[in-house]
Amino acid sequence: MASVYKTLSGSDKHEKETGEKKNKQRVLILSSRGVTMRHRHLLQDLYSLMPHSRKEAKLDTKTKLYQLNELAGMNNPQARVLCAIVQLADFDPGIESPDSLDKLTSPELYNCNNVLFFEARKGKDLYCWMSKPPNGPTVKFHLQNLHTMEELNFIGNCLKGSRPILSFDAAFEKQAHLRVIKELCTQIFGVPKSSRKVKPFVDHVMAFTVADGKIWIRVYQINESEVGKKKPAVDGEEEEMEDAPAPKKKGAKSDFDVNLVEIGPRFVLTPIVIQESSFGGPIIYENKEFVSPNQIRSDLRKSKAGRFNTRSDAQRDSKIKHADLGLTSHGGRRKEKDPLSDQVLFA
Amino acid sequence: MAKFKLKAALDGEKGKDHKVAKQRKHEREALKRKAKKEASAAEAAAEAVANGGVPVPLDEVEVKLNGKKKTKAQKNGVNPAPKAAEPAPAVKDSEWETDGEDEEGSDDDDDDMPERPALDLSRLDDSESDISSDEEEVQAEEEADEADEDAEDDEEEEDDDDDDDDDIPLSDLDSIASDDKGDIIPYQRLTINNTAALTAALHRIQLPYSKLAFSEYQAVTTAEPVEIADVEDDLTRELAFYKQSLSSVKDARGKLKKEGVSFSRPADYFAEMVKSDEHMGRIKKKLIDTAAGKKAAAEARKQRDLKKFGKQVQVAKLQERSKEKRDTIEKINTLKRKRQGADITTTNEEDLFDVAATTDEPKSERRGRKSDGDGKAFNNKRQKKDQKFGFGGKKRHAKSNDAQSSADTRDFSARKMKGKPGGASKRPGKDKRAKKH
Repeated sequence: MASVYKTLSGSDKHEKETGEKKNKQRVLILSSRGVTMRHRHLLQDLYSLMPHSRKEAKLDTKTKLYQLNELAGMNNPQARVLCAIVQLADFDPGIESPDSLDKLTSPELYNCNNVLFFEARKGKDLYCWMSKPPNGPTVKFHLQNLHTMEELNFIGNCLKGSRPILSFDAAFEKQAHLRVIKELCTQIFGVPKSSRKVKPFVDHVMAFTVADGKIWIRVYQINESEVGKKKPAVDGEEEEMEDAPAPKKKGAKSDFDVNLVEIGPRFVLTPIVIQESSFGGPIIYENKEFVSPNQIRSDLRKSKAGRFNTRSDAQRDSKIKHADLGLTSHGGRRKEKDPLSDQVLFA
Repeated sequence: MAKFKLKAALDGEKGKDHKVAKQRKHEREALKRKAKKEASAAEAAAEAVANGGVPVPLDEVEVKLNGKKKTKAQKNGVNPAPKAAEPAPAVKDSEWETDGEDEEGSDDDDDDMPERPALDLSRLDDSESDISSDEEEVQAEEEADEADEDAEDDEEEEDDDDDDDDDIPLSDLDSIASDDKGDIIPYQRLTINNTAALTAALHRIQLPYSKLAFSEYQAVTTAEPVEIADVEDDLTRELAFYKQSLSSVKDARGKLKKEGVSFSRPADYFAEMVKSDEHMGRIKKKLIDTAAGKKAAAEARKQRDLKKFGKQVQVAKLQERSKEKRDTIEKINTLKRKRQGADITTTNEEDLFDVAATTDEPKSERRGRKSDGDGKAFNNKRQKKDQKFGFGGKKRHAKSNDAQSSADTRDFSARKMKGKPGGASKRPGKDKRAKKH
């Protein structure tokens, strides 16, 4: 506790100097073993879009996910207490925020207060875990419709390390679990101002939309052009006028037209479960509409097997019927001799 | 939690069983008593009265059982009243036995009342038949009751189906008669949506947005939820996403400008991009390739069309040429005929020239006439082949008769057929011929 006090008191001065509130986020990005090439590329894409992230080697285990807490460096009691105080400070102006999480350094700590973990199963299904390590909730998603930057061939591009605008659908405010997801996405995908590799411009937007009970994610480049020079893009997405508008009047910045060009990647997240603590704790939300891909596959297989079974049954039935009628050359019942047949009558 | 409840339910069920067993004992005793009384006192009574008297004890048995399992005490009150003939002590006996239970059951009974009458009538009918089958009837009634309650449960389940959000939480199961608890399996996994915990978690992690400048988090929520009619429709869906992002960008841009934060990258600011130059080069190449492919496809289509049209043009040209040729040949022929006739001098220079120009006429004339005369389409390829290999076609059967030749009677002479001289010169005999050589 003494060390906590020390860090707290030390940080107080620091905090007073800076004065203003800071949003500090660090994200640990990693995957489990058994990811495919596309999954790896998605990881790479996200890593390149998030300068405040740290990539880590694949996690060996799929069951002991609580190890991620240690990996993120938020599992020691010091960090827990500090986080709690920071959170308290957000609500109670009487408590000074320590702002000293950065200073918590020990060899194995990455100091990440967010974890984005991709769990691959069976070499095809990808599950995405978002968590706030020491105490915060964990959301488990099923990731579908994955298209990486590599394969999409969109002409949009943005600076590495620039800060995105996060665009959320209003539906996120409707339900409690969506609010939690929104907050997590804001903290994980939003690039904080003070991040190390950040570039001070905003040139892309990340859109999160709720549709069909799923969260659809798109990334667009923001393309500004002067109003006069630019024809409004017809279908928006593909059209980009490369002719750079010659800047005539530098002052007239307000009449710039904005259009977007998609960068990639694209993916869809289906929330499955929300746990109260980080990679553990009671389940506080469960999506009952979620059907596991295994279930879907097995249903498909069963329906196919059903078709085969009915067909083979029908075949067998007809065989038996034929045998009963004495129509088969081998096996089955012999045809009864007709007492009135020629062979009998004129034997 | 669930375990505890289940255990409690189990205990409840066990307790119930004891009570039911006790009840059965009481019932048997009561029946015995009644049988004695009836044997002694009611023997004298009229048969009709006896028949009337029988249902009453049965009803009471019913009540004893049903009092436990949600049947009505009111039935008890209503039914005995008209049957004044029944012995009073029996009624008292039975009521004394069932009193407490009736009170227990009475709370539950009220709601079930409307459904009952039909069943009870049937029971009354049954009761007239036999006394000895008491046990069976009791059984039957139990079953009927269970069936009844099952029906109620079904109704409840249907209700649950109607509004999907309400499954059967374990706590709600208490309201269902504990007897049947074991039979009900919660048919759907319980929805967990602990809003309180979710809100708490949200508050725990939420950034203090009111204290932060917009440029710290840069998250925008649209005013209106994005409506996508059909998620499968790619174009409208992507358009919706695009519109959402565009509106947020405009919104955020305004806010950032207000805070004085640099928004767009200056034109002379170069830095590493998310997509490398190599990657962009690949994309560009791909774009160019697709564009080139499109262009090539269009070109090819145009060529195909041209070819189709061009063939017709060529055929027309050839026909024209052959027609021209025929005309000249005809002209030449007329000239020849004229020359063979009297007037040679009239031949002018041009005609002569024409003849000279087409020295190898006969050959081509034959060919031309052949193709045109038959009315077949002019075949260029055939012509080329004929030129190269000589005129093709069948060589065999060329000298055999056909309909035309056999019908041709020019060479026929009846005289010759009759063997008369004067026809064709006779072949000299062998002798003469030998002498000749």
